[in-house]
Formats: sequence, structure tokens, C-alpha cells
Amino acid sequence: MSEHATMIITSSDQVPRATLFKRFPVPRNFGVARESRIGLGKAWPAPPGASRIKSFEIYRYDPEAGGNPRLDTFEVDLDDCGPMVLDALLWIKNKVDPTLTLRRSCREGICGSCAMNMDGTNWLACTRFISDMDAPATVYPLANLPVIKDLVADLTHLFAQYELIEPWLHARSPEPERERLQSPEERDKLDGYYECILCFCCTSGCPSHWWNGDRFLGPAVLLQANRWLVESRDEAKEERLDNLEDPFRLYRCHTILNCTRTCPKGLNPGKAIADIKDMMVERQG
Amino acid sequence: MPNPTARRPRPLSPNIQIYRPQLTSVLSILNRITGVLLSLLSVWLVVWLVAGAAGPRSYAVVREATTSLIGRIVLFGATFAFFLHLCGGIRHLVWDTGRGFDLRSIYVSGWLVVAASVALTAAAWAVGLSHSAG
Amino acid sequence: MASDMRSPLARASGLGSAKSGPGHWRAQRLSAVALVPLTLWFVASIITHSGGTYPAFVAWLRTPLAATATVLLLIALFYHSALGLQVVIEDYIHSRAKFAAVIAVRLGCFAIGAAGILATLRIALG
Repeated sequence: MSEHATMIITSSDQVPRATLFKRFPVPRNFGVARESRIGLGKAWPAPPGASRIKSFEIYRYDPEAGGNPRLDTFEVDLDDCGPMVLDALLWIKNKVDPTLTLRRSCREGICGSCAMNMDGTNWLACTRFISDMDAPATVYPLANLPVIKDLVADLTHLFAQYELIEPWLHARSPEPERERLQSPEERDKLDGYYECILCFCCTSGCPSHWWNGDRFLGPAVLLQANRWLVESRDEAKEERLDNLEDPFRLYRCHTILNCTRTCPKGLNPGKAIADIKDMMVERQG
Repeated sequence: MPNPTARRPRPLSPNIQIYRPQLTSVLSILNRITGVLLSLLSVWLVVWLVAGAAGPRSYAVVREATTSLIGRIVLFGATFAFFLHLCGGIRHLVWDTGRGFDLRSIYVSGWLVVAASVALTAAAWAVGLSHSAG
Repeated sequence: MASDMRSPLARASGLGSAKSGPGHWRAQRLSAVALVPLTLWFVASIITHSGGTYPAFVAWLRTPLAATATVLLLIALFYHSALGLQVVIEDYIHSRAKFAAVIAVRLGCFAIGAAGILATLRIALG
């Protein structure tokens, strides 16, 4: 059980607790395209004999059946599955509906595959305790992404934006005999950036990326851009900053800070972006 | 995003329709809303100055409108919007120096902005009403 | 958009980096910093002079401090407004109408700001 959020959050793993509003006071289908409207789904009752039951409302979409996405309600037997939301999802897949589709791999919060929206915020399903979820628990795919099937979102564009910032070493200096050298102080500068698992919880939770995601790079990509900007062995700072110096690519960030709030690895994309903006101003004089 | 093999467009997963409001996003959108409102209200500031330049009769008309019941309600809202935007703006300027990005500071400064805005609005109106009454 | 057969990287690259952005960002911060003392002074003046007469208003605006500060306030305020509203329009409007809207907002802010400055100078110097 995670420490529940109080008025002052000190780390992102404090689960958001029920507030006055569970969602922004906009119409249910505010700005939603026809094919994205969520319809009524099926109800899957708990198996007989189950005593501790929790309801999960899960977003479903079947590209082969066609039609619109829907919200299915599953009753999960908590005595029969592990403590994490991923355990509940796999229990449903094993015991109730084998067609429930999701990404998962390491089950320990390091691969980033099971990133999804649970009770309105993005996190990894394998590190979110069921006991921290609302009643009923709601599970959606990562926000504002094309849905391939059920909880699997299409990350193609996000990875294309990642490729755009050229996340590899640019060095014109001749290759040394062994390693390119770096002091411990220079290596420390990478802390807080290299740990990113590219789960895209942050980018998918950024309202600016919702409205301008085609051009705004988003917190995950910009955090990695900063990772390469502070890399002492890299020699392309000028080109990297030129590439980012754009009213949309970088400057759609208005320091909303949903990213820092939601990072399941406790990283700080907001701070990374502020550092990039600082470099932008510094190189002007 | 287009998928060359699909015959139909993929649905988009819900965003603002389901994402939980948090102090981060709520204060940010409030800063924007108050900014836009203040931009509109600043037109009234210019109307007031132009009326003052036109003479005592025009000035009296604008003054009447501003001190009417509706005028006072709008003015009260404008004061609150102003202090929210001012305190939120100062919070932004502090971020621009690179400070205050850890989650604890984000939340402490956020609640401070809310508290300060309420307090300053109350203080401003208390002082203002006592001046116009006395 | 079945007609868009660009690769994901081409789609993400768009028209490339505009090589601008810090200028707008700095101007917004500069006007914001100027506005903190100017607006606080102005609001304090309004509060302490509320309930006053027309001659008192004119006398107040005639003082060099009030005249200068009001003109500076109007400049900073409408510049900050124009920049802020431009960002809001760019965020939410994505059609060609965006450019027309930004132009209209900038011209409007300039015009209304100019009207305010001229009115202030008329009272202060007239």
C-alpha cells in the first residue's frame, strides 16, 4: 500500500486520492471524434464463492469487430490474484476474458510496457497497488494516443519524436584508443535523466501535448534531449539546441508540471525542460 | 496516426475527459483563464482613462457603471483573478530561475498561491471599502 | 488521414525547427517582471483613492509619479497581454485562422494600449 496523497505531495508515488473533482468539468464526450466515443460495455461477474471482490471498469476496443470502444466492468476476486493492478488484469485474462489485450513484460517497474491510465492518472500497472485504487477502479490506455486494441496504445509518433532529437553520441573528435573519458562530476550530471524507461506516462499526461502533440515534443523526449545536452562526451550541443529552438518543439511547455507529478520512476521532466530553456537564453548572451 | 493496413481510423484514448485534475494542471489552467480574463478587463481600464480624459461627465458615467452592483461583482472577481495571476506569475518566474521544481516545492508553492490570492483579495477589498465609506 | 503516407519521422519533423522562441519567452518574462511592481502600485493607488472625486483623480494622475507609472503600466500590460494571448491562440487554433487571430490580437492590444497612453498623457499634460 502506497502512502496516500495528502495536500503536500513529496514524491510521485503518493497516489492521488479522491479530490473534489475526479475529472475536469467538461462534457463526457468533449471534443471526442465519432469513432472514439466510448459506449456501454459488458459486465463480467465474479466467480461463485469469491468473498473479496473489487470492480474494475476497463476500456475495451476490438479493431477486428469494428464499432466503438466500450467500458467493460469486471469483478475481480482479490483473494485469487496478486496485489498489483497488473496482477488483476492478468487474472481477468486468465480466468474471465482471454481477449483482454495489454502490454507487459518485467512486472517490476523497469521496462515501461504496462504504462496505462488508472483512476485518471498515468502510472505502471505493475507498481500500482489494487488497494490504492478507487471503487470501482477505472483502467484506460495511456491518454490521447491512438488505440491499437484494448489497453495497447500506438506509440509510433512518440518514438518518432524521440528519433528526432538524435539520442546517440555525436562526436567529431577522433575515436580514442579505449573509452571517451568522463569525470565523476560529469557523470553525476546524467543522474535523473538516464533512468528514464520511455514509458511515456509523462507525455501522455501533458495537456500541451494533447493539444499540440504533432509538433510539441513532450516531456519524455525533452528529458532525453536534456540528457544528451548535459552529456560531456557529446560534441553537438549547438545542433541539438538549434533543433529544439522552436515555438512548438520546446516552447509549448508552459510548466504545467503534470509530467513531474506522474513519473513512475520519480524523474523530473519539468526541471529538465527548464534547464533547456535556460541554455537557450544563456547562449544568446 | 494513420495506419496503412487499417481500413478505419484508430480511436483516440480519452484525455481531458478522464484525466484526474491535480494541483499542477488546475493552477496552470487557472493562470491561463485569469490571464485571458484580465486581458479583457484591461479594456475597461482604458475606457476609464479615456473617459477621464474626455471630462467629468464621461468620467461620472464610467464611475457609475463600475460602482453599480454588477460593476462591484465584476470588480471583485477581477481583483481575485488579478491576485491569482500575480501570485501564479511570480511562481512561474521563480521556476524560470530553475528553483522549486521538486514535487514538495511545487505543492507548497501551489497552495501558497491559493492562500495568498484569497488573503490579498480580502485585504484589498477590506481596505478599499473602508476608504470609500470613510 | 489515409492520404498521409509519410514515415513517422517525416511526420514528426514537420517543417523543421523555426530557430526562434527564446525571444518571445524573454519578452514575456521581462514584461512580467515589470508588471509586478507596476500593477501592485496601481491597485494600491486605486484602493486608497476609491471614493474620490473627479478633480482628485485628475490631480493624482497629474503627479509625475502617477503619470509615468501609468504609462509604463499600459505599455507593459498590453505587451504582456499580446504575447500571452498569442500563445493561447497558437495552442488552441490550428487552422489558417490562427495567423489572422494573432494579428488581430496584436493590433488590438497596440491600439487599445495607445488609446490608454494618449488619454493618460492628455490628463497629465493637459
